[in-house]
Amino acid sequence: MAVRTIIVGVGNPVLSDDGVGIYVARMLTGRGIPGVSIEELPASGLELLDMVLDFDRAVIVDAIQTEGGTPGDHYIMQEGDFKRSVHGTSPHGFNIATALAMGRQVVPERMPKEIFFVAIEAEDIVNFHEGLTPKVSASLSAIADMIERDFIRRDG
Amino acid sequence: MAGPIINDATVKTKERKITIDPVTRLEGHGKIEIFLDEKGEVSNAYMQIPELRGFERFCIGRHVQELPVLTNRLCGVCPAAHHIASTKALDAVFSAEPTATAKKLRELFYMGQYTHSHIAHFYALAAPDFVLGPSAPSNKRNVLGVVDAVGVPIGAEVIKHRSIGQKVQEIIGGRATHPVFGLPGGVSKQISEEERAQMEEMAKSCVEFGKFTIKLFHDVVLANKDYLGLILNQDAYYLETYYMGMVDKNNKSQFYDGDVRVVDQKGKQVVKFKPSEYLDVIAEHVEPWTYMKMPYLKSVGWKGFVDGASSGIYRVGPLGRINVCEGYTTPLAQAEYEAFRKTMRDLGVTGPVHHTLAYHWARVIELQYATERMLELAKDKSITSDDTRGPWNPPKEGVGICEAPRGTLIHHYASDKDGLCTKINMIVATTNNYAAMNTSVKQAAKALIHNGEVSQGLLNKVEMAFRCYDPCNSCGTHSLNGGPALQVTVRKADGSVAKTLRNF
Repeated sequence: MAVRTIIVGVGNPVLSDDGVGIYVARMLTGRGIPGVSIEELPASGLELLDMVLDFDRAVIVDAIQTEGGTPGDHYIMQEGDFKRSVHGTSPHGFNIATALAMGRQVVPERMPKEIFFVAIEAEDIVNFHEGLTPKVSASLSAIADMIERDFIRRDG
Repeated sequence: MAGPIINDATVKTKERKITIDPVTRLEGHGKIEIFLDEKGEVSNAYMQIPELRGFERFCIGRHVQELPVLTNRLCGVCPAAHHIASTKALDAVFSAEPTATAKKLRELFYMGQYTHSHIAHFYALAAPDFVLGPSAPSNKRNVLGVVDAVGVPIGAEVIKHRSIGQKVQEIIGGRATHPVFGLPGGVSKQISEEERAQMEEMAKSCVEFGKFTIKLFHDVVLANKDYLGLILNQDAYYLETYYMGMVDKNNKSQFYDGDVRVVDQKGKQVVKFKPSEYLDVIAEHVEPWTYMKMPYLKSVGWKGFVDGASSGIYRVGPLGRINVCEGYTTPLAQAEYEAFRKTMRDLGVTGPVHHTLAYHWARVIELQYATERMLELAKDKSITSDDTRGPWNPPKEGVGICEAPRGTLIHHYASDKDGLCTKINMIVATTNNYAAMNTSVKQAAKALIHNGEVSQGLLNKVEMAFRCYDPCNSCGTHSLNGGPALQVTVRKADGSVAKTLRNF
């Protein structure tokens, strides 16, 4: 049976780079790739849990700010890594790891076997603005390519 | 299960400034700073919040009909409340009275939001303090620890019923988060009989879960003398403030629509006002160290972070609502309200309940009300009518108010003749509570920290003082000029604040 994969873009599309996950999701949707679910999530972590249940693989695309990070860079992380990371001021940031851990605890049989985070270094996540900063914007298509290649088409 | 850990060992600190940053288990980052004097006693405490910028500027010039979907982007925590307040503001802007069907659908949708939000707060944010204890290790003091303690099946019920809240919002609102159904004078989507029946079944299950949650609260919190002591602690968790909340014509608590009632420290009505009159009642104070304004009652005045009749600080949210109302329109919530009042009366409290931790009790009563009201509305077969939208008129200025889960939420817009937004003002629930939250934090810090002795558990108890308010700070701040808000706090070597530099 085919691997059931979901890509979830997380963020606020009107809060500058906070919305980068949403923009990546929209770009992937535009490519019309068969056999993958692509969703946008503008909310906190518990909603994420509802979305990923009953999939085999979930890829969560979100903004991150790390000390000294270069805007537009991305990091691939898994659940264990995420717990230690420091997220920016975005209100959805706090809950994601906890929500997924709760899923593993309460409904383990419905949780994806693999959960990956594609964390994209953001430059501005505090100014309301529709659109990304230039460096983050320039990174979009390469990140979408990577997700398509490594997470969507990997198993054919 | 092992008993909750209420107190742990204290450690003497050499520092004069204690920072809790980030505040755990909150949506968005908060930061509390506590300043000690020479003797290690608390001299001051602030709760600071990060700010998102430029939202007003972002909205000006857009069509006002976009605002219900834009304002709910302010925050991922309570988008539905913004959507409802915004839609009601549009009713006023377009002088458009919603049809009976539209009102019912909006309210039913909103009960989904309350169910979802109150479950999340109680189980994920409040329960760790009660089930595990405020001094339990911080890595255990979370919802995972709660589920470990109370059992996986209960965790599954939490997830299930929170999801139902989302599902109801999705059926009516088009999307679970960031709904799109509100229009001036109505809603955009009719629902089918099948959807109504589905919501009725889901609501029944939620009513049962509401009962279970109240029982859990009684078993875990009220049956534990130590917790009851904590709740009744007048040194740390007690403010005699004014209260604000929405009521119907019989002064029963309402979340979707009604007048806004304010009562004083004795429970006497100060004012009952319509949304359009809010500026007559509320004024806003500005502090140099935060961008978030501090609303207070205009008729009383600003006296700083103090409680009492001469200070215009008021509280909103579950405690505010339960103190301004004279009960609930649904039987189970009303029964628990009476139990709440009786317990308090037996303890000698006859008027409003000023005990800050009683927010949690009020919240579980409200969860029960929301589920019962959800069931009432979902049973009503008339909600499938196609009469979902009334007539509207040329745009002008208007105000919409609803009770967000966290408290009174005000949206105020002005429009030009083409429907373009020329002015926007919002007072969100967390802003309404901000002065009280700071007062609570300071009070708890003063009561719990002496002689420079702090412990992780003590610090968490200070956090508990404002966690009750369930603040969601990300949308609480907005700078009117939309410019970059910069603020640097300089502190003397002795730990006190030297000065605050700011660009506003």
